[in-house]
Amino acid sequence: MNKKKENNAVFWVFVTPVVFAFLLVVIVPFFLGVWYSFTTWTSSARAGAGTQFVGLTNYFKSFQDVAFSFSFLITFGYTLVNMVAINFVAFGLALLVTSKIKGRNLYRVGFFLPNLIGGLILGYIWQFIFNNAIPALGHTVPGLEGLAKPENLILATNTGALMALVIVGTWQYAGYIMMIYIAAIESVPMELHEAAQIDGAGAWSRMMKITVPMAAQAFTVTMFLTLVQSFKQFDVNVSLTAGGPSTMFVGKPILGTELIALNIYNTAFVSNNLAQGQARAVIFFVVLALVALIQVYLNKKKELEL
Amino acid sequence: MKKFLAILVALAVATTGFAQAKLTLMQGKPEIDAAFKAYAAVWSKANNATLTIKTLGGTSNAMGPQLKADFAAGSMPDIFTIEGPEAYAEWAAVIADLSDQPWVKNTSVAFKSGGKVYGAPVAVEGWGMAYNADMLKTAGIDPKTLTNYAAYKAAFAKLDGMKAKLGVNSVVSMAAAIDMGWVVAHHNFNSYLSNGLAYDDKSVAKDLVAGKVNAKRLAEYADWVELLFQYADKAVLTTGNYDAQVNAFATGKAVFLHQGNWTDPNMKAANATFKMAFAPHGSMSTATDGIFVAAPSYYAVNKDSKNAALAKKFLNDMITTTEGQKFMVQDAGMIPAYSNVKLSPTGQLSASVQSWAASGKIYAWNQGLTTGDFRDKSLAPIYNQFANGAINKAKFIELFTTAVANYGK
Repeated sequence: MNKKKENNAVFWVFVTPVVFAFLLVVIVPFFLGVWYSFTTWTSSARAGAGTQFVGLTNYFKSFQDVAFSFSFLITFGYTLVNMVAINFVAFGLALLVTSKIKGRNLYRVGFFLPNLIGGLILGYIWQFIFNNAIPALGHTVPGLEGLAKPENLILATNTGALMALVIVGTWQYAGYIMMIYIAAIESVPMELHEAAQIDGAGAWSRMMKITVPMAAQAFTVTMFLTLVQSFKQFDVNVSLTAGGPSTMFVGKPILGTELIALNIYNTAFVSNNLAQGQARAVIFFVVLALVALIQVYLNKKKELEL
Repeated sequence: MKKFLAILVALAVATTGFAQAKLTLMQGKPEIDAAFKAYAAVWSKANNATLTIKTLGGTSNAMGPQLKADFAAGSMPDIFTIEGPEAYAEWAAVIADLSDQPWVKNTSVAFKSGGKVYGAPVAVEGWGMAYNADMLKTAGIDPKTLTNYAAYKAAFAKLDGMKAKLGVNSVVSMAAAIDMGWVVAHHNFNSYLSNGLAYDDKSVAKDLVAGKVNAKRLAEYADWVELLFQYADKAVLTTGNYDAQVNAFATGKAVFLHQGNWTDPNMKAANATFKMAFAPHGSMSTATDGIFVAAPSYYAVNKDSKNAALAKKFLNDMITTTEGQKFMVQDAGMIPAYSNVKLSPTGQLSASVQSWAASGKIYAWNQGLTTGDFRDKSLAPIYNQFANGAINKAKFIELFTTAVANYGK
């Protein structure tokens, strides 16, 4: 056996389990799902119900549902605000913990910790904070009485509830993104900073002219991660707002903070319409893939090679 | 250490292993989970089997996704609970006929379809307006008079003026947040469907499914909803969860609670010692002297299970043996749906349901005749907006009527 053949054999020995797992849990379900979206498939034992091919019916019905369109709209809005919030906070935190501040390793751990708590639990914890802790502050601290009024409850209004999702989303994810920024900031060569300092550049212009451009690769990654994370937000959505409060959209009363993933779940399991939920998931996939590709393309253009 | 581990593993294999039949039961009542598991352990030992209890509760329809996943994976539970005709239709093809079971003759509320029995009732349950009897006494209100809208309106106004004296935050503990949609869009909604009607009169529900509302009935019902929302604690009403709603009543911060007898364990946990009972709903101008009582969920047996016979035996044992009855009534605190069970639950609200049922003053649960989709996705948002003050009563009636007209579309 020559060297090349041996390498090949080793290659396949190592790659086969991974390919097998990838096929089994990603590729097969994906295409099965796409197939189901064209049928009347429902995972139940309804007497006499078989799976029939119905073409694009599920897709047409999805687009006719105003709640689905509304979910798309607010998901875009939520994603935009959430991306900005997470990245600003994460970059700020990264600058903080790469400075000479005392106890920075402790802060790194602290800021990263929320990311280790499951989204569902996190949602319930924050629901308690918004519904009980903040009004309790209003009851006890003089000057903050407004917080105790029921009409000022953050989760009682639509914009408030959406903002609450952003706050919790940021709190959960900023620490993770911070780690990526830390790596990027620490990999910027010190000579650049020293040279700029000799030329009289201040801290702000050094950050804007050196750190940010040098960290452009990190931005590509963090933007992508936060974009996808925000688009797919589900667990915090379920536990924190469950889609509420309700709002009017083109004359129909619908759920006001039902992000797209929750809408898909509700279609599949509350309305007992798995095939249509599957169709919505396919639409979601196409849109998210397009948006993500555009984002990566735009970010890549900003990256520089040293 | 290694030896110790090996022995442990061997033991685990030996106890769960070959000779024993395995049964899985999936149910939706978290409040009875611990008692159920304890009984399952006793029964398993006596029958040389392993019965696993899976509990998925909390929000409405929480069991649905898991059942579907298990069904798709080919690991459908041997026994699972269904809630009326909509859920039965979903699983009709795998539900075993239980008509020949010995317990059938002992119950009048088994789930039937086409003259055959398909479900063993879990328990009798009921709700009305739970009231704090001590507070009503202080206010000089006789709960027996609370049978129609006018009586409630006067009582609520009087109690509202005495909030400081009674030490309450609000008159009614009511919830209408989206994840509490089942309180308004399932339970309260049933006042529209069945209050004041004969127990088997399903005409209003049938009309609704056909897209028609009864305008007079709806107008009176909307008055009732408005009254409940008006005298509720706004924070609990718009954002509160189950605990917030129930505990407001249990800790003496509200005179009335819009919930059912399943809150008995919560009352016990909160050490609520005051006298409490149910009064009828006041959703109509005429008097409706009864509360909503039914056996709303049923155990169904998976007929494709290889242990179907054992599953049937379990149900029968639970209903007929002393141990099974003790679990159902004393440990789980449920009202038995079987005439051969002579025990009574100790909770005050369950006792109240039993006394209403004993005097025959009961109205049906008809919300199960409508789809979960209609209740959760069409109705719940309307109630939520009404509770938030985003819409008024006229708009509530208009949106309700439109939602019904679009039923199933």
